[in-house]
Amino acid sequence: MFIGRDLDRVDALAKVLGTAGFAHDLRMEGMLFACVVRSTKPHALLRDVDVSGAYAVPGVLRVVSHKDIPGQNTFGALRKDQPFLAESRVRYVGEPILVVIGENEAVAREGAARVRIDYGEIDAVLEPDATGKGRQIYDTGSLMAYKKVRKGDVEKGSAASDVVVAHTFRTTWIDHAFLETEAGIGYVDEGGRIVIKSSTQNIHYKRVEISRLLAIPEERIRVVQATTGGGFGGKLDVTCEGFLALAVHLLKRPVFMRYTREESFLSNTKRHPLSIDYKTGARKDGTLTAVKVDITGDTGPYASYGDAVCLRVAVHATGPYEVPNVWADCKLLYTNNPVSGAMRGFGVPQLAFAHESQLDEVAEALGMDPIDIRIRNGLKRGSVTATGQVLSASAGFVETLKKIEPFWRARQKTKKGSGFGLGCMYYGIGNTGVANPANALVELGEEGRVILHTGACEIGQGSDTALLQIALETLGVARSDVLLDRGDTDTSKDAGSSSASRQTYISGKAVQEAALGLRAFLDEAGYYHRGRALGDIYRATKDKGRLLFEGFFNPPASGLDEATGQGIPYATYAFASHMTEVEVEEATGACRVKQVHAAHDVGKSINPKAIRGQICGGVAMGVGLALMEEFIPGKTASFDAYYIPTSLDMPRVEVFLVEDEEPTGPFGAKGVGEPALIPQAASVVNAVTDAVGVHVYELPCHVERLKGLIESKKTTK
Amino acid sequence: MLPPFSYIAVHSKQEALTSLASLAGAALLAGGTDLLVRMKKGETHRYVIDLTGAAELSGVKDRGGTLRIGSGMTHARIGAHPAIAKTCGGLAAACSAVGSPQVRNMGTLGGNLVNASPAADSIAPLLVHNAVVTLESIDGMRSEKLERFITGPYRTTIGKHEILTSVEADTLAGYNEGYRRVAKRAGWAISRLSLAWALNDADGVFKDVRIAVGSCTPVPFRPREAEAFLAGKGRERPVVEEAVKMVLDEIRRISGMRPSFAYKLPVVRDLLLSVLGGDSCS
Amino acid sequence: MKRVGFTLNGKTTTCDVEENELLLHTLRERLSIASVKEGCSIGECGTCTVLIDNEPCYACLTLTAKVEGRDVLTVEYLAHADLLHPLQESFISHGAVQCGFCTPAMLLVGYSLLLKHRQPTDEQIREAMSGNLCRCTGYVQIIEAIKDAAPVFIHSGS
Repeated sequence: MFIGRDLDRVDALAKVLGTAGFAHDLRMEGMLFACVVRSTKPHALLRDVDVSGAYAVPGVLRVVSHKDIPGQNTFGALRKDQPFLAESRVRYVGEPILVVIGENEAVAREGAARVRIDYGEIDAVLEPDATGKGRQIYDTGSLMAYKKVRKGDVEKGSAASDVVVAHTFRTTWIDHAFLETEAGIGYVDEGGRIVIKSSTQNIHYKRVEISRLLAIPEERIRVVQATTGGGFGGKLDVTCEGFLALAVHLLKRPVFMRYTREESFLSNTKRHPLSIDYKTGARKDGTLTAVKVDITGDTGPYASYGDAVCLRVAVHATGPYEVPNVWADCKLLYTNNPVSGAMRGFGVPQLAFAHESQLDEVAEALGMDPIDIRIRNGLKRGSVTATGQVLSASAGFVETLKKIEPFWRARQKTKKGSGFGLGCMYYGIGNTGVANPANALVELGEEGRVILHTGACEIGQGSDTALLQIALETLGVARSDVLLDRGDTDTSKDAGSSSASRQTYISGKAVQEAALGLRAFLDEAGYYHRGRALGDIYRATKDKGRLLFEGFFNPPASGLDEATGQGIPYATYAFASHMTEVEVEEATGACRVKQVHAAHDVGKSINPKAIRGQICGGVAMGVGLALMEEFIPGKTASFDAYYIPTSLDMPRVEVFLVEDEEPTGPFGAKGVGEPALIPQAASVVNAVTDAVGVHVYELPCHVERLKGLIESKKTTK
Repeated sequence: MLPPFSYIAVHSKQEALTSLASLAGAALLAGGTDLLVRMKKGETHRYVIDLTGAAELSGVKDRGGTLRIGSGMTHARIGAHPAIAKTCGGLAAACSAVGSPQVRNMGTLGGNLVNASPAADSIAPLLVHNAVVTLESIDGMRSEKLERFITGPYRTTIGKHEILTSVEADTLAGYNEGYRRVAKRAGWAISRLSLAWALNDADGVFKDVRIAVGSCTPVPFRPREAEAFLAGKGRERPVVEEAVKMVLDEIRRISGMRPSFAYKLPVVRDLLLSVLGGDSCS
Repeated sequence: MKRVGFTLNGKTTTCDVEENELLLHTLRERLSIASVKEGCSIGECGTCTVLIDNEPCYACLTLTAKVEGRDVLTVEYLAHADLLHPLQESFISHGAVQCGFCTPAMLLVGYSLLLKHRQPTDEQIREAMSGNLCRCTGYVQIIEAIKDAAPVFIHSGS
């Protein structure tokens, strides 16, 4: 009834009316404004910090430094290594040093501008150095994380190959460029607790960090997700929440923060720039024999989600293909560049660029059609992945290729410069090789209204609606019977972050479990067979206390062997194939993406319209990654220099869904948020090669780079 | 947030000229898409004189052989103006390509010229039309060729008390005219390079060739030597190639060799080859 | 301070503002029109778009004093009482809304376009939207929503 239906989004009405309360829009009587003083140097000692200028500005109430922190001055999703406020040293441009709190925004910003900092500059490390011989930021060395995957014998595999292709691929920093910059409000409630409402992807995690920062128990803190204007991984780390909590704790007044766009670009984590040495071996018939991948990445001065990215790219090194011999290394290295962190796909979009380019070159060398080599090697049920996991179910990769195959076979270049490319991917749903459970609560509340309490954060991707559909389907009640209550640590249990394409699959399953509990109760009470109304059931039982049903799901995965990376990193994988048509103008190097055919194995489609929205958005982000997006420290300060695709840059998009149901997922569903993006840049690049015969080994392939490639091809001819 | 200033709305050109003459430290506000961005980044002015109410600065007049275009005309209005489309097509095309729809609704021709960005879209086509700007002050009026008016990146000859009130451009009937910009994305982008042209040819012979290159040299420019070389010559590949070579030489002579030329010169070459060679590339 | 009078969403409005005040600020902070967003403040993202005399403009680069006597529309104008505007209905039914931060501005751009072009082509819609960034949707469903609202729009006599 509700699964597979294009239900309108539950949050759409408020959003079209303009009444949705984004973090940017939160206001309170008597609220103050806080802003951050940030390092202007990539690496320096703080010799002297003079705040007298700030205090001289009328209306500046307080300048907060690390000394004002009652608890731990470190945070981090995976390692607690990043200071909220720098103590004696800064390690990147944009690192927070002070928080200036004033009566209003103008005053606070003026105060921040008047702080004088005497920096003792230290040579900055601006290039990742894997040798360990160069200058290092930490005494412990430059290596932040090192993960490997070993399967079979890659040297033997290479020796048995008829063709070997080897290239180095490079990518750069990408900004999330969510349209709502980091923002939030904090205050002390009637009970004396600290309340933070912010633009975030994870409320329970933020509460943990605030608790450590202020050294107060989590029960004394409430974190609420305001309507959030996009996340894409950039609102997973603590942004303004820590500063707000600190300000509220010190001043006991409501405090509001909102980053400027420039501040957001400066301070937010970035997609990891990766350098990928990739070697592929295959036999004459196209069967892949060996893949050797050596990846080096720039993590900046702190870990953020680096460990997760590092492991995930190693695990996904081969792409969605069965390869008997795999050797994958990924090293992330510390630098004084921007902090790299989580961004849609956790490194896999960069890797897809490499493995898909490689596969096309192997196919070219063998005289094969690119789709045939993919079908031949594609993972399917029974395949063994690079980590030795046997795919026992829900492996519809080849089916995604079959969906676009008719269009691929019928492709025709309509004019000079037109070209077609394929890009494929697989993606493990949820965190890699670690427990990542979600909880959910379903309640029979007043007047028999069913209330779904979830801690899952709706960041635009549509989790609210998907979770609601799962609850409705499980319960078999009417839409109007169910109320959604989400994004509040007071009323929900930890659902984990809205990241890793995990909420539909993991929170969805938890919601289903909770709803099944209520369903059993309602069945007992006569709702389904005796026609007893929900209100009657509620009234008959309400004296026994709240009717709460808990749901919990932790996907069945296992840790990976440290030395070999072997194990079961994920319970399930999403698969996708994109076919892209481009037109390259040789005179200018301009590449226009004309059309994309995108096929995704989503397990089970909960809401096809929402899935299509995710895929179209992923295509846009992939077009940006392929052709224009490039964060250059010190140069791309705002949207005037950091270009993301506009409506005129977007292709037409045809979406095809494959539903190879995942037995552990809610109604068979998996996830699609990141898969939507991952293969897109790869397919653009392969289409460019098809169009003008040049190979692209570095992203973005913007007009200048592409024209340069076209020109050098002319001269080598 | 903007630094503080006193806001003055004028209701006529005369009032604008008087205010400008009498107030020290005044900036003129037209569309605001350049001025206010600069002010947000710290530029300060004691007074901001809003020209929106000066109706004389708007409108287009056909003066027989030339079009006089009011400096207060927005890019959107120029792009949609029938007379401009007919006899000044490159300008209409350029103004329709400026920034974004909102920028075109707000920004004006006068603002674009006075700002004098090397990437300003309106300059190259106006050079092709031998445009002359009219500058007025309380003391009088003067006219200057556009190519003289702009002296460098973001630099013009405008006096402290002058307002650029109108632009006069040759009407070019019977010319094949166009404008082409290259940018890093398809919408809402700054021109990396632009090219305006107006060609008059008959029976395969160039009668008059006008070319202007933007975003390449400090000021968009007309490669006069190449234009003169082409006049009277047949539209043949070797001729076109020679002319294109002359254009590239002129660019190098003006600017020296710049890192961006590794990209820009081959693009100018290829676009010009196709424009002069008779391919449609606009 | 300066007194500025203009029409806001059909109603005559008078407001005392600073001389250097931007329309974005006046609408959000003085007039509680929170639908007009601040995404970059330098006229590059489009989330602050309002219609001035029916034409899309960036409120972050418009002095409030400049709209004296003019007609300013924000998304609050579109719905009446409990009745959504056909464009709003279309945005919901087409899935044109994700995070929603660009949505009010996108609706206004669509409204302005439909006033001028009763049956806009895809290209006209893309062109009209090109000054408004969206990071979530890839624009596809927004384009479809605007296109499909066109017939209803004419019918509703907007």
